[in-house]
Amino acid sequence: MPASISELRRLLGEKFPAAELRPGGILPTGLAAVDAAEGGLRRAALTEWYGSSGSGALFLQAMLRMCVREKCFAALVDAGRSFEPVGSPPSTLKRLLVVFCGEAMQAIKSTDLLLRDGNLSLVILDLQMVAPGTLRKIPTSTWHRFQRLLEQTTMALVILTPQPIVEGAQVRIAAEGNWTLATQRRWRGESIQEMAVRIFPKRTVLRAVA
Amino acid sequence: MFGVIFLPNFHLQTVLRFREELRGKPVGLLSCGTRIADGGMSRNGGTDSGKKAGLLEINEAAARAGVAPGQTSPQALARCPALTILSRSLVQEQAAQAVLWEMAGSLSPEIEATAEGICTVDLQASRDRDWATIGRRVVEALEKLNLRAQFGAGPNPDLAFLAARHARPVLVVQTPAAFLANLAIHELDPPPELFSVLRDWGIHNLAQLTSLPRGNLMDRLGPQASRLWERAAGQFTRPLRLMRPVEEFVEAFEFEYEVETAEPALFLLRRFLDQLILRLTNAYRVAGRMTLTMLLTNGSAHERDFTVPSPTGDGDVLFRILQTHFDGLQLDHGLVGVRLRIEPALAERQQFQLFESPLRDPNRFGETLGRLAALVGTENVGVAEVLDTHRPDSFRLVAPRFEEVGEGTSREDLTVGLPLRRYRPALPAQVRIVRHRPVFVVSEKAHGAIRESLGPYRASGDWWETNRWTTEEWDVEMEDGSLYRLMRNDTGWCVEGSYDEKFSGFRIQFSERAPPPPTASASLLQTHPLNPEP
Repeated sequence: MPASISELRRLLGEKFPAAELRPGGILPTGLAAVDAAEGGLRRAALTEWYGSSGSGALFLQAMLRMCVREKCFAALVDAGRSFEPVGSPPSTLKRLLVVFCGEAMQAIKSTDLLLRDGNLSLVILDLQMVAPGTLRKIPTSTWHRFQRLLEQTTMALVILTPQPIVEGAQVRIAAEGNWTLATQRRWRGESIQEMAVRIFPKRTVLRAVA
Repeated sequence: MFGVIFLPNFHLQTVLRFREELRGKPVGLLSCGTRIADGGMSRNGGTDSGKKAGLLEINEAAARAGVAPGQTSPQALARCPALTILSRSLVQEQAAQAVLWEMAGSLSPEIEATAEGICTVDLQASRDRDWATIGRRVVEALEKLNLRAQFGAGPNPDLAFLAARHARPVLVVQTPAAFLANLAIHELDPPPELFSVLRDWGIHNLAQLTSLPRGNLMDRLGPQASRLWERAAGQFTRPLRLMRPVEEFVEAFEFEYEVETAEPALFLLRRFLDQLILRLTNAYRVAGRMTLTMLLTNGSAHERDFTVPSPTGDGDVLFRILQTHFDGLQLDHGLVGVRLRIEPALAERQQFQLFESPLRDPNRFGETLGRLAALVGTENVGVAEVLDTHRPDSFRLVAPRFEEVGEGTSREDLTVGLPLRRYRPALPAQVRIVRHRPVFVVSEKAHGAIRESLGPYRASGDWWETNRWTTEEWDVEMEDGSLYRLMRNDTGWCVEGSYDEKFSGFRIQFSERAPPPPTASASLLQTHPLNPEP
């Protein structure tokens, strides 16, 4: 007999891995590594994507393609005002609501509004171009509040950061790529798939056994 | 059969429509007011400005206190110190008149605007012959719109009008002779001379008048007396002066004092919406667009249009749209009037597609967009629309129209290279050039020796305009592996953006993961338009 609830949870997780509960479902990303490990982005959950700025920009491009593929709509809250739409196909841009913010706290408020709205499938909060000092000033309660808001929706929230700062992220994805100028001559889709990612799910919830 | 909808004390009722706090209290109305001018609102003097204004209408509470129409304000206040004296508002009268016409139009297309607060309807084509039920329905509907109405029905327009005047609140005249018999002569508004003669003869009611021979009466008092006899006998009929009311859903209110906070305006707007939605529902319509006009103390008006993303008849949704606007609103002058106009639309019937995820609540999304615009500025929210030019950073954010987004194309597979993260504004830089290539850069972000560079990518445009531009761009790789785009234009060098900026304080280790296999396409290298010259 298992001695504690956590032990029982672990035991059930090992015996019935398919019973793992993803409360809001999954949003397939099209990124092979992410989809293989998690099936995609967890809906109703907060995901943190951290790494170099190039990896964040490529992830955003992957999400634009996902929106066309899944016929859904997304929002980008850009705290660094760095999003470059020139070069992206208009069909993908039409599915992305862009919110340029002048500062990090404005971006946090904008994200809050979008999460409360609950209409979109995906919200991306891009904090990768924000100075680390400013990021550290964001209260950690913000991320917990976001998670609580998400749990009432089927939205997925991805926060792009230069380093792991989001406390309470349900999934943390580290991304890196050794890009050189030679990458500028390659298909963007190939660069997206070749990103090296590691996934750290924080916790899983087991379906209650009847 | 004809019907008449009669709004007693019409002018006073229109002023009291949104003044619940004055119900049951003595109120008198002075005959001076305001009017809508050319679709907007502007204050001007009343029709009888310049002479001492008397009370035009009073309510029952004022009448009980001894106040009578025609008294001046001091006279009325002497009799009833608690009397509230209000001014006429032509703006509100027009709105109430539109409500009346609309209600009449729901009974029959043949309606006549008989007078202010009086509307005559030709009911002969009506299938429903239960005139009393029709009348009660009209009275109840108008009561919901804060208007007390009386309904009368009779075989001719004049009889219907007399019935409406005596209705409590509905009266259908089945036997005209019995109804008219006890009415006083003055109910028919006879000419003063004729009325005086009849009074001298001892004729006080219509039964006494109709007992006189009609021919003899005409011989002695002329054709006017003959027409009066016909009306008294219920035999006079006339064609209606038909009108076609414009379907306009407007409510307006003018404050008696300057308002400096949003609460009174929002309070009124909520009531406006309740009334307008009732009217829209009666017309089987929903709100497609709203126009809010606020009259300011300096005579100007603040006007704003709101497109309802998904036309709706939900008052809460519409109110939230207005409330969101007030959240970030600051006016330079006080508010003296508010007007809300709704453009009706047909309700949308949307069939969701099986695999598509449209917006669940477009109105809520529109409201969120409004809040975002208030937070970050209208120019910073929207869907990116790339402009038809090669000038760098040429795009604009437009309002999203997610409901019109069609299928995507596969063109995205043709994009090449890493996406740029643009610095806005571009960072000024000093660049050292050796053999026509940048080799060293000094700037806020990129600083140091350049390991490798691709370029130049030259572009120019608008040379036929005064704002012509020329750029030369370079993609550069720094010693630390960061990738940037440099640009030279008329003002000098700058760092336009980065492709990949290494974060110095943190580095992820992937020792256990094999590096991805090289999959560069040879054909791509030959066809890529950005392929630099060898």
